Amino acid sequence: MNGLWPLLLILGSTPPAPAPDEGKLPASLEALFQEKDKDGKPILGDSERAYLKKLPPHTRELIGKDVDALTVGGASHLKALLALELPSQGAAIVFSDNCILCHTDPESQKKIHLFSADPKASGSAEHLNLKSFVSDVHFRRGLSCSGCHGGSPEKDVMTPDIAARWPKADVRHVDRTWIPEFCARCHADPNLMRGFNPSLPTDQLSKYRESQHGILLLKEKDSKAAQCVSCHGVHGIRGPKSRQSTVHPQAIPETCGRCHGDPKYMAGYKKEDGTPLPTDQVDAFKKSVHGKALLEKGDLGAPACNSCHGNHAAMPPKVSSISQVCRTCHSQNGTFFDGSKHKQAFETNRWPECEKCHGKHEIAKPTDALISDAHDGLCGSCHAEYAKDKPECNATARYFRSSLGELVTTSQRLRPEAEDLAERGLDAEPILASLEEASEAIVQTRSRVHTFDRGGFDQGAKAGREAVSKTEALLDLARKEQRYRRNGLLVSIGLMSFLAVVMGLKIRELSRRRARGNEEPRAR
Amino acid sequence: MEARREEVRASVGERLYRWLDARFGVARLVEFARHKEVPVGGHSMVWYYLGGTTLFFFTVQLVSGVLLLMYYQPGEATSYESIRYITTKVPFGWLIRSVHCWSAHLMILSLVVHMFSTMILKAYRKPRELTWVTGFVLFAIALGFGFSGYLLPWNELAFFATAVGTDSVKSVPVVGQWLLEVMRGGPDVTINTLYRFFALHIVILPLVMVAVVSTHLVFIQVQGMAAGMAHQRPDRPGLRFFPDFLLRDLLLWLVCLIVLATLVYLLPYGPGIPGMEWELGKKANPLTPAYPGIKPEWYFLWVYQLLKEFPPHLAGMEGPQAALLIVTVLMGIWALVPWLDRRASKGQPSPKFTDLAIAAIIFMAYLTLKAWDIGGHALPGKLPDPRSTAWACAWITLGISCAIALLRLLAYRQRWMYFSGAALLQVVLNGVFGLDYLLAGAAALVVAIAGVVVTSRKEPAVQLRAPK
Amino acid sequence: MTAPVAHSVKPARRSILNWFLGVGVVGWAASVLYPVLRYLRPLGEAGAGGPLKLSAEELTTLGKSHFVIARSGTRKVIVFEAGGELRALDAKCTHEGCTVQFVPGDSLVWCACHNGKFDLDGRVLAGPPPRPLAKWVAIREGNDVILTMEKA
Repeated sequence: MNGLWPLLLILGSTPPAPAPDEGKLPASLEALFQEKDKDGKPILGDSERAYLKKLPPHTRELIGKDVDALTVGGASHLKALLALELPSQGAAIVFSDNCILCHTDPESQKKIHLFSADPKASGSAEHLNLKSFVSDVHFRRGLSCSGCHGGSPEKDVMTPDIAARWPKADVRHVDRTWIPEFCARCHADPNLMRGFNPSLPTDQLSKYRESQHGILLLKEKDSKAAQCVSCHGVHGIRGPKSRQSTVHPQAIPETCGRCHGDPKYMAGYKKEDGTPLPTDQVDAFKKSVHGKALLEKGDLGAPACNSCHGNHAAMPPKVSSISQVCRTCHSQNGTFFDGSKHKQAFETNRWPECEKCHGKHEIAKPTDALISDAHDGLCGSCHAEYAKDKPECNATARYFRSSLGELVTTSQRLRPEAEDLAERGLDAEPILASLEEASEAIVQTRSRVHTFDRGGFDQGAKAGREAVSKTEALLDLARKEQRYRRNGLLVSIGLMSFLAVVMGLKIRELSRRRARGNEEPRAR
Repeated sequence: MEARREEVRASVGERLYRWLDARFGVARLVEFARHKEVPVGGHSMVWYYLGGTTLFFFTVQLVSGVLLLMYYQPGEATSYESIRYITTKVPFGWLIRSVHCWSAHLMILSLVVHMFSTMILKAYRKPRELTWVTGFVLFAIALGFGFSGYLLPWNELAFFATAVGTDSVKSVPVVGQWLLEVMRGGPDVTINTLYRFFALHIVILPLVMVAVVSTHLVFIQVQGMAAGMAHQRPDRPGLRFFPDFLLRDLLLWLVCLIVLATLVYLLPYGPGIPGMEWELGKKANPLTPAYPGIKPEWYFLWVYQLLKEFPPHLAGMEGPQAALLIVTVLMGIWALVPWLDRRASKGQPSPKFTDLAIAAIIFMAYLTLKAWDIGGHALPGKLPDPRSTAWACAWITLGISCAIALLRLLAYRQRWMYFSGAALLQVVLNGVFGLDYLLAGAAALVVAIAGVVVTSRKEPAVQLRAPK
Repeated sequence: MTAPVAHSVKPARRSILNWFLGVGVVGWAASVLYPVLRYLRPLGEAGAGGPLKLSAEELTTLGKSHFVIARSGTRKVIVFEAGGELRALDAKCTHEGCTVQFVPGDSLVWCACHNGKFDLDGRVLAGPPPRPLAKWVAIREGNDVILTMEKA
């Protein structure tokens, strides 16, 4: 771990401004520019030279030394490294790290050990992507290969402790139980983590042990269960706020879905009641109101899988907790429900509260049509079984439905009228504001459906009705104003036309008089 | 009763008149007014009224403009909002703004027609050269009014139109960039531009306008109105200015007011053709990207279209520079017409200049029609196809031009049509046959010059037949 | 119009014409002057984009329930009193646009729709809102409360 600190110092310091006469390359580096490929063209060109010139002098010397020591094996190796276009600090890390230098040299490495900026082209494994490695959150904080694999980057041979650190290759690829503990060596140590990111929690492992994944992996030794690497990746780990991260809110459904959406992978896993674990959650979620908000509207406040299931402590919420999970956002609806008659009934029957009507992964945007006392409707189907012969309930449901329908259709009808008046230059601002009030009241009223009580519902519906009638009154006023304007203009056009006609007559009369008076000059 | 009351009224009037006369010599003015006559005959009287209607609309502009000023607040956070406030909150604010906008367009329309009628009737000829020049200056000021007033609501359309319009200034040689920054109050159109345009629109231009209008009117009073060219009949008495002509003038102004009110009644936000609409729309935001369909007001459209017709580079100049050079030359010719037209100043028929006016109309009409994208079917958000636009506009121009030519030939016996023919040739070559606009223009220029050369050799023989 | 009466025109017809002319001129003058005079009469409220004054009704609500939602054009403003200080924020939640409320007990501004919580300066404390609420300046002037947008 001590090897880290010099690197951190390099990262923290700004590169000194190059002196005017600088920009010369070390001789050994200059020699590489002479190297030609098999078609006889120089391998390194002006863009590489320009990049090198921008580096601080000590980094250039570092590269020169690497060339001397043959850790940079030749022009094409250098070209591959420069193609990463690292900032000068990153370049300093790469060129002082012999692990990276050797493992990126295509001449000396086997495909299974070769890091490449384009793994597909070079035929190496995808996790050996050099580009994502250099943007890895650990690498950027100075933790390079040796941090996890052991060894020392300044030596030019691999030391035996590298092999000793991890289980043997044939074991570790089959048995993944060692991974959480391995990551936790740092991530569970608050003293160490404080030096990098003081706000990062260090309780991931203890949470993980209690999660379904942790129980499977650590207690039941099921290496198919997800561990750190399954979600975070290996060499290209990024923080959850990065858009490219596998744990960014919008990427989480995909990340979880890699296992949970694969029926083959999930075969054999069962729910508590013994039924097989479904694999359609991700598809259902994508179609749900939450999935659309998160993935289509880009509302990062909308929940992803982890918002309800937890992340490191991932568990299916139980009947007892599902309503609490929903309430983290939908708190008002929860409060209304708690005060309603249904609360008791749901508890007696041990029903999950919200899920019972709204579903879980596939939650659709609720519509007013959900409120239905028909025998196959949401209210009707349940009541037919558990609360038969309660006509007053059916009446309440119908009342909710009709009240909401009326509010919605009226405000929908009024909006285009208001916009039309605005187009004609009338003051539509108060009308639109009052319509806004109405739609706000509709939202409140819909929320108040969860009181399942006429009185509670009416507190919202009343405000809505008031807003709608206010809008109607304002619209009437505006229409009156519109008529007043048009009629006023018509009247004045009429008056002026009358004057024009009279003037015309007067002119005719004057000229006739003149003609009869035989052009005698008028005396004053 | 009636008679006695009139007597008292007359005596009060009489006394006031004497009081004024003793101090200001009003009698001389009355004497002048009594003898002032408007020539009759030769051509329709209609053309004598257009200066008056222009003046009327200008007065409406002054009054409505001052009224708008009472609520308008220039400023980044207030310009747009105060116009909104005027149109939505202030009683009759919508009326005042609509009147101001409509009247602005009608004033320019009336001014343009007045100018062309003066041109065709040769009223600019000696001794009225300076009246023509002051009129031309008035035309330029009116355009300045339109351009500066366009920005004041600080809405999106105005912002972009001003950005484009002022940008063309930079192609003026040597001082272009300086001029641009002086106009804009900085390198870009910002609220500083609005302050400058505001000062221009409400103080500088009105002062200049009033001064030049007064000069224009004094010239007319001193020289009297021009009689028709080839048909002067000194023996026939003219129409008395007072009260006969003035009453007719007043009646026409009233009709103008009625037309104005009717237009405001029917289309409070303008007819909705590009360059002639004033919906407030969205507030200007310098950071939003421009969108297709940004156009200047209709009287600038021909210049706007001409700029589009030019290639990026032409004869060592940038396209816009070349286009503006041509516009400047054309405008210069137009302003100097009284001196160029030597035949008219000698009192001889001058058919070439009649035809020049018609050619100018054809030239500008084609460009304006094209700028309106007539005949080019555009999908929303896309620019219409210029080829089909040119084709449709060319046929429309051709139809109208042929009708005018026929009218001239049959009713007025005019034969000299090389200029208008050349202008029409360019329209047809460009619009119907798809030839490049500039190449078509060059071809037209050759025809026009050939026409002048060929006919000037036998000029003495060219005679206009007197109409029946 | 002081010309001597021409004998050939019937005086009655002429006087009717003159009378009509008078009526026409008055009508014309009225239809031009009326809008102008109405236009010039001030409206007696804050000008365009001007600051907003709380009405008496809003002030009593503020006193009773610790906060009030006022309206400025299309914008809604929440005004509340916390720690003896008058504060004002945009009342439209930045998440889905619901109207927020002030919770005096917790000293925070809360949106009931998705449990968004803001501190007294409008910063997001918890929940899905992506942006803070815009701040307004609330000043007491005598018995009045004046609200103005805080300049960004």
